[in-house]
Amino acid sequence: MLKIEQLSFSYHQQQEPEMLFELTAVPGEILSIIGPSGCGKSTLLNLIAGFLPAQSGHISIDNEFVEKLSPAERPLTMVFQQHNLFPHLDLYTNVALGINPSLKLTSKQKDEVSDALKKLGLSGLEKRKPGQLSGGQRQRVALARALVRHHKVLLLDEPFAALGPALRQELIELLKSLVQQKSMIALLVSHQPDDALQASGRTAFIHQGRVSAIDETFKLLNNSKNKAIRNYLGSL
Amino acid sequence: MNRQPTSAFWVLTLLGLAVLIPMASLLAVGRLPGFEPGDLQFWHSSYIRRVLFFSFWQAFLSTLISLGLALLVARSIAFRGNFPLRNLLLKLFGLPLVVPSIVAVMGVVSVYGAEGWIPLGRSLYGLNGILIAHVFFNLPLAVRLLLPVWQSLPDHYWQLAEQLRFTPWQRWVHIEWPAIRENLPGVSLLVFMLCLTSFAVVLTLGGGPKSSTLEVAIYQSLRFDFDPTQAVILALLQLSLCLVVAVIGLSLQKLPEVEITISASNYAWHNKNRLFHNLVILLAAIFVGLPLLAMILDAIRGPVIEVISDNKLWQATAYTLMIGLSAAFCSVLAGWFLLRSSSVFANRGQINKAKWIELAGSVVYVVPPLVLGTGYFVLLAPHVDVFDWVFPIVILINAMMGLPFVIKVLSPAMRKNQMRYQNLCCSLALQGWHKFRWIDWPLLRRPIGLAAALVSAMAMGDLGVIALFGSVDTTTLPLMLYQQLGAYRIPQAAVSAVFLLLMCLLVFWSLERGLGGKDYVKN
Repeated sequence: MLKIEQLSFSYHQQQEPEMLFELTAVPGEILSIIGPSGCGKSTLLNLIAGFLPAQSGHISIDNEFVEKLSPAERPLTMVFQQHNLFPHLDLYTNVALGINPSLKLTSKQKDEVSDALKKLGLSGLEKRKPGQLSGGQRQRVALARALVRHHKVLLLDEPFAALGPALRQELIELLKSLVQQKSMIALLVSHQPDDALQASGRTAFIHQGRVSAIDETFKLLNNSKNKAIRNYLGSL
Repeated sequence: MNRQPTSAFWVLTLLGLAVLIPMASLLAVGRLPGFEPGDLQFWHSSYIRRVLFFSFWQAFLSTLISLGLALLVARSIAFRGNFPLRNLLLKLFGLPLVVPSIVAVMGVVSVYGAEGWIPLGRSLYGLNGILIAHVFFNLPLAVRLLLPVWQSLPDHYWQLAEQLRFTPWQRWVHIEWPAIRENLPGVSLLVFMLCLTSFAVVLTLGGGPKSSTLEVAIYQSLRFDFDPTQAVILALLQLSLCLVVAVIGLSLQKLPEVEITISASNYAWHNKNRLFHNLVILLAAIFVGLPLLAMILDAIRGPVIEVISDNKLWQATAYTLMIGLSAAFCSVLAGWFLLRSSSVFANRGQINKAKWIELAGSVVYVVPPLVLGTGYFVLLAPHVDVFDWVFPIVILINAMMGLPFVIKVLSPAMRKNQMRYQNLCCSLALQGWHKFRWIDWPLLRRPIGLAAALVSAMAMGDLGVIALFGSVDTTTLPLMLYQQLGAYRIPQAAVSAVFLLLMCLLVFWSLERGLGGKDYVKN
């Protein structure tokens, strides 16, 4: 289980923290995170990943507190919107870096890299450079690397934002099956309410640095009482 | 990730010590032997007044002519779009960054000297020669700095001008001049500074006290008059001048970005006045190309065997290579650690911190090499034989001179890498040696190679600090060339000049290709 308790952060010094998060997600779940730009969606992921220092509060993964650990020590993997891959390294190497930064892999680990690439439909492309791939393929490689790392938590920061609707749907289905198979916990930041509807049973709506609502996705998107959600969706 | 990036702190501390200690010894002028309080009243000396005036006057005229012509040439190149040999022309205009100034002087003598194609006779020596050489260097530089301004003007402006039937004059007033005006102060100040601190050109083409600049006067006081007090006073004057110019420069606007790559934008469709533009480009190419061509022809007809079978040439070559490569190594290393910090700050949004670190690394813009050299001279002279220390000092000063270029070339690439891959590397636990080997080196070797190539070529061609500290046993190629010119052994000098030029180009090319690698990863 991923548990965020009273996690606070401010870009500027002030008494009341600009952001204060409270959230839980369970294995096998993709929890979508939506909200207007600047609301703190990406900040939340960066805090969990350790790229930004939290002022106070706790992050626990399976009852282990991780907020004191460095980004590399936390049992999680983040997939960014772009620049997930090093352009000068081939696909195989890009994935292998996820296992060991020195690139000294045992034969078992090498098989694992090949398996992950196969699972994501990238067999035969091992020697390609990222520049020779489509945007969708590049994000598949990033997911393959996340797989070989065997981490419980997967943080996805608008990973499909640059892709067309059909590709997005396809990758979301792929993501869903991976998360269920490995019983991972995924947080998916997204700009598209449709993505949340397709990917997630539950969705959190973030507004002004707080989790303003968290509910079943369909209910949340049709919550006519929450003014911020109405304004964000521009509906009703 | 919360660690403060401290590597720049150490680099800047070392750099600060290397600049401030010799500067402090300049300020302690009162303790020099033979010092009299009256010496400080430099305005009573008609010699110093004359030198001061001439320094300013030649720099002013050089800047005026270089920039005036550069505007004309850059405009013609921009308007002619993609003409044949365009890239070759721009490569030719990039050469003055690599051609040692003493070699350029040789080229100017080959064309305009007594035996040359356009003989100016004795009148070459003095203001005329200095101006020709300075324009030879700075016209191409200014063209390369100004050309991107035209290329940055959106095509819509020209389409609009066509629609509104602007005359060429109206186009200039409404479209071109507003963009140029923003960049002109920066470019002029850079050129002015380069001419103010120019040494080799004035030393060889200047004629005695009548046309001498502060930079050369410092050298003469130390090496010929054995008058350290006068040298120090001149050095302090030069330092204050440069500081004033730099402060004016900073307050007016940023120094221009040195454009290393030239993109070929195409304006071919508004091809009016083709003939005029062609003529301008042709004349500029001749002006820049002729000295190089004449010198090479002179060298081929010269005593090639005599010169290259001389042991002294090879001894000088070895010293020159050692200085160039060591300076490049130190400079790139210092730049790397400096930029490692500044790019972290830039990535965190602390842009001002990053800017200040990089500006501090470029401090030698305001402390000319001969001023630094004089500082080291008076600092070390009472304790050791300074001529034994020639190589460490020459390498140190040249490495510092190269640092601004290293920063200019490496900074954008390192910042981009930091921005794109820092979080990714962090989460993959890529750090230290592995990060350098798998990520930084492959992605940055190209700018590193270019930076090392630039610094080594400049250090190899430097005649300034080496003239101050060099002796018969420690002669580099530029110093040897200067001695040949001084002894009027012009045919030999032409051969040595071409030899030095080839060495510089060879080292430049092999570092750029060797370190930079052949294929370039587009990211």
